[in-house]
Amino acid sequence: MSEEQLNELSSRALQRIEAASTEEELETVRVEALGRKGALAQASRQMGALAPEERARIGKLLNAVKQSLESSLERRKAAFAEKALRERLESEWVDLTLPAPGIRPGSLHPVTQVQAELEDLFISLGFTVLGGPEVETERNNFDALNIPPEHPARDMQDTFWLEGGYVLRTHTSPVQVRGMERLGPPLRMIAPGRVFRNEEVDASHEHTFYQIEGMMVDRDVSIAHLLYFMKTLISAIFHRDVTVRLRPGYFPFVEPGFELDIHCLICGGKGCPVCKYNGWVELLPCGLVHPNVLRMSGIDPEEWNGFAFGLGLTRLVMMRYGIDDIRLLMSGDLRFLRQF
Amino acid sequence: MKFSYNWICELVEGVNTGARELGQLITMKTAECEGVEPFGEHLAHVCAARVLEVTDIPGSHNKKVVVDAGQHGKKTVVCGAPNCREGMITAYAPPGVKLARGEIRRMEVAGVLSDGMLASGAELDINRDAEGVLEFAAEPGDPIPGCAPDSIIEIDNKSITHRPDLWGHHGLAREVAAILGLRLKNPVNTARLPEGAGDVLVSIEDFDLCPRYSALTFDNVTVQPSPLWLQYRLHSIDLHPINNIVDVTNFVMAEITEPMHAFDRDTLKGDTIYARPARAGEFITALNQETYKLEESMVVIADARGPVAIGGVIGGLDTGIVDRTRRIVLEAANFKAASIRKTSTRLKLRTDASMRFEKAQDPTNTVRGLARAVELFEQASPGLRLVGGVADAMRPIPPPPEIALDLQWLARKLGRNVDPKQVLEILERLEFEVREEASKWLVAKVPSWRATRDISIKDDLVEEVGRMIGYDAIPPRPPLIPSTVPPANEERLFHRGVRAAIAAQGFTEVYNYSFVNEEMARRFGMDPAAHVAVTNPIADDQDLLRISLAPRVWKNIQDNSRHFDSFRLFEIGYEIHRKADGLPDEADHLVAAIYERDGDGRAGLFELKRVGECLMPGLEAAPVEARPFEHPARAYQIRWRGETVGRLYEMHPSMGEGRAAMLDVNLQRVRGLGAAPKRYQPLRKFPASAFDLSVVAGVRELAGEVEKKLRALAGESLETIEFVRQYTGPPLAEGTQSLSFRLTVYAPDHTLTAEEVSGIRARIIDGMRASGYDLRV
Repeated sequence: MSEEQLNELSSRALQRIEAASTEEELETVRVEALGRKGALAQASRQMGALAPEERARIGKLLNAVKQSLESSLERRKAAFAEKALRERLESEWVDLTLPAPGIRPGSLHPVTQVQAELEDLFISLGFTVLGGPEVETERNNFDALNIPPEHPARDMQDTFWLEGGYVLRTHTSPVQVRGMERLGPPLRMIAPGRVFRNEEVDASHEHTFYQIEGMMVDRDVSIAHLLYFMKTLISAIFHRDVTVRLRPGYFPFVEPGFELDIHCLICGGKGCPVCKYNGWVELLPCGLVHPNVLRMSGIDPEEWNGFAFGLGLTRLVMMRYGIDDIRLLMSGDLRFLRQF
Repeated sequence: MKFSYNWICELVEGVNTGARELGQLITMKTAECEGVEPFGEHLAHVCAARVLEVTDIPGSHNKKVVVDAGQHGKKTVVCGAPNCREGMITAYAPPGVKLARGEIRRMEVAGVLSDGMLASGAELDINRDAEGVLEFAAEPGDPIPGCAPDSIIEIDNKSITHRPDLWGHHGLAREVAAILGLRLKNPVNTARLPEGAGDVLVSIEDFDLCPRYSALTFDNVTVQPSPLWLQYRLHSIDLHPINNIVDVTNFVMAEITEPMHAFDRDTLKGDTIYARPARAGEFITALNQETYKLEESMVVIADARGPVAIGGVIGGLDTGIVDRTRRIVLEAANFKAASIRKTSTRLKLRTDASMRFEKAQDPTNTVRGLARAVELFEQASPGLRLVGGVADAMRPIPPPPEIALDLQWLARKLGRNVDPKQVLEILERLEFEVREEASKWLVAKVPSWRATRDISIKDDLVEEVGRMIGYDAIPPRPPLIPSTVPPANEERLFHRGVRAAIAAQGFTEVYNYSFVNEEMARRFGMDPAAHVAVTNPIADDQDLLRISLAPRVWKNIQDNSRHFDSFRLFEIGYEIHRKADGLPDEADHLVAAIYERDGDGRAGLFELKRVGECLMPGLEAAPVEARPFEHPARAYQIRWRGETVGRLYEMHPSMGEGRAAMLDVNLQRVRGLGAAPKRYQPLRKFPASAFDLSVVAGVRELAGEVEKKLRALAGESLETIEFVRQYTGPPLAEGTQSLSFRLTVYAPDHTLTAEEVSGIRARIIDGMRASGYDLRV
């Protein structure tokens, strides 16, 4: 094959490479030009017939043509691949404004959430979390808390009585008794749980609600210590300054006893149904543990003393989330519960 | 409990603190004040008027009345009161005055312009008498004597449960005097009590139930309405004025907390009054016209014939004061608090007397009550005479306790130092007798009215001092405590984990009541008698304690299905199971539910199974006989680590619309099994081989059972077995299904050869065939 013929072949092939509009066409060109039976292969087979110096020259040329064709082919091939990729990617457009499929997490009851928060807070202060049964003995719910059978304080809590003389606990305080008897002094405990009062249900009263009982028994526990814990507790609960006041309150299991009030968080102290229009909400009955209570649980009040408090967890949840109807909490209404 | 601000001011010298502010102070230092309301504000504008002229208005029952109303001048008013007559002094309310029934306006009545109004006691809120216009002695233009505008301070009863002395005005006045640093007046002069033997004898049978009974006889009594000031005062604190005798007893009760009772002496049989336990079978008809059957635990006051009063609770009808009563025996007694409370609970009868006696009243107070009554009777029943001295039976009153107070101990309790002088002053203002002993020690003698129950130990004095210095005066201080790790509460941690896991799977947590009712129990196939019953349920539908969470969760499902077509919810709560003896068993359970209005319900069941597996990896479901509320072909037990721990089922369509799948897990049992043991297995060193097997079985044959058989046959060489698919249809015979599994086998010490793998496979196939299964190979 002459030099001219080779050049001719080369330029024709290059032309076809550039003109190929599909990868298949490109492949056809490659096979015809560079394949085992292609034009260049044929040319190279004819080389033997050439004179040696001619053969060297044509051989060089042949190589150059081959390289030029190959590189053109590569380039075109890459262009095709790139185009194909571009087209694929373009076709893979998604609309992520569409909703994602699958199940959304549910939610925990607001009381569960606040309770967990308080448990963690108290655990960090070295308190242990205790539980106790919903059905209690009269002794644990009343007598061991310095409320003997004919004590008028029994009227302070409308009690659900059960067959067999048991009661649905009217407060979480019986867990104090259980805690003192199980752990002995010194101790720091809280007891969150469900309590029951036999009263009519309305927007601010429920017969089933939640409290957190707290107790610390040690040596020389003072009102100043109680105040410290209560203030720590309240600022941790509300994540802000809340106006509080401590005033005398009567609970047979503490002496002295206090009511801790806070400014109503729903109305800011102006008055609303939750605070019964007086601006203050009773948050926490508390006090120093009555020596009789310690004694009844086998603790010597001359050696040990302590403080106790009962926090209205349900009321707290209502204040935290601005819930103005207590009945929603026990309603099982998902329209309400899914908000938390 | 309602208190009259004016009354308190009469008992404390020089109060110039307003009622509202006083209410605040009482709240902060004594007991919770629930509110302060003005009372009788209109009385500032009402005055006495003389009736000058009464003329009939034709065609009307009303009369045209002209009165001399002092500074208001002559006024013409229309009045319908039957007692309105010329010459009487009555109450005139000018236009513009606001009464409970509305503002008085100048208006035409029956053709006559009525310029104001003549008012009855009820209209003026002085008493409850609406029969006619008020009649009293005064000069025209004067205010109604003893009936000034007042404020009523309402104290929360619960906050004075422990304070017998605060159930009367004098007790609260003592607090007010102590708070304000003013002098308390003593309304009682016991010098007025006559000397000598009593007209009646008193016999107390049981001094424990009735520690003291004092009585005084009066004759020449005139039963009539009390003076207006007395009626007004009682009315203002919700005690009904009845007649002068009864009103005086109520006044003394409301003032010095000594409930009293007056008998008509002429209806009492014999000369002895007995205070004794009731005899079995005795009855009494009380002043409220009710008849009560008495029990031996109750104290009665009796005459020679039988009971004349239920001691400390209520008087008898037959011996009560009536209009013709001329001689009375006035009782001032003391009763055992616990007994009174029990009696009043048993009889379902709470009276003003029982409410006070059950707080443990002061036995020294009986004769003080009599002395105060003598003085009041002189005003309320002129001409009345004392007969004999005080008949007074009592057991010795224990001396008031003396409490030694270590001031250093007090400071440790309060958490701050208090000046010993201040402690002394506070206690003395509260009428403790205090003396200093050694340095930093005080001995305080408790006043009798607080010695019955309220104050007995030094801790009680901490309160007296603390409240009077004010709790705001104690700076908060952190305690020094050892830093220890508190013991963990495994149950709560476990519940937290479960809650988080279930909520993450899309379930919303609900809380439900612990109560169910009979109908709910029966619908869920539970015997109502198996439940612990509430003896005083709040409503008929909440009289049993739940032994299953399912009925209430089912109610949640029905309620929410009104708003949603599809939802997931769960509850963790306690089942309460009756035990032969001792407290019931309380088992924590999880109930998770999925509701779909449409669909075949399969997906929900499998989703709940998956949720169960999140808690209990490797749980097994085993078919179980369905209960009536369960879908008969969709009831399974959940087993985990060899124990039955719960149930997975679909609600029976007869229970309601839609599909509801329920998972009920006994968390107590799951927790009891402990955390699933975890143990590291060395990673496999040689490659494993996998092959599929399709087992042909009956359509109702359980895939789980087939899998178990394959697993057993594969033996130790099995690494995993995975379910691949289930198939029914041609070419399989009717009533059969194909269950395909992928088995992966391996050997720990070499790569299994092709021959070994096909050997294992052949062994399994042969084994299955021997058990009667066909295999599609």
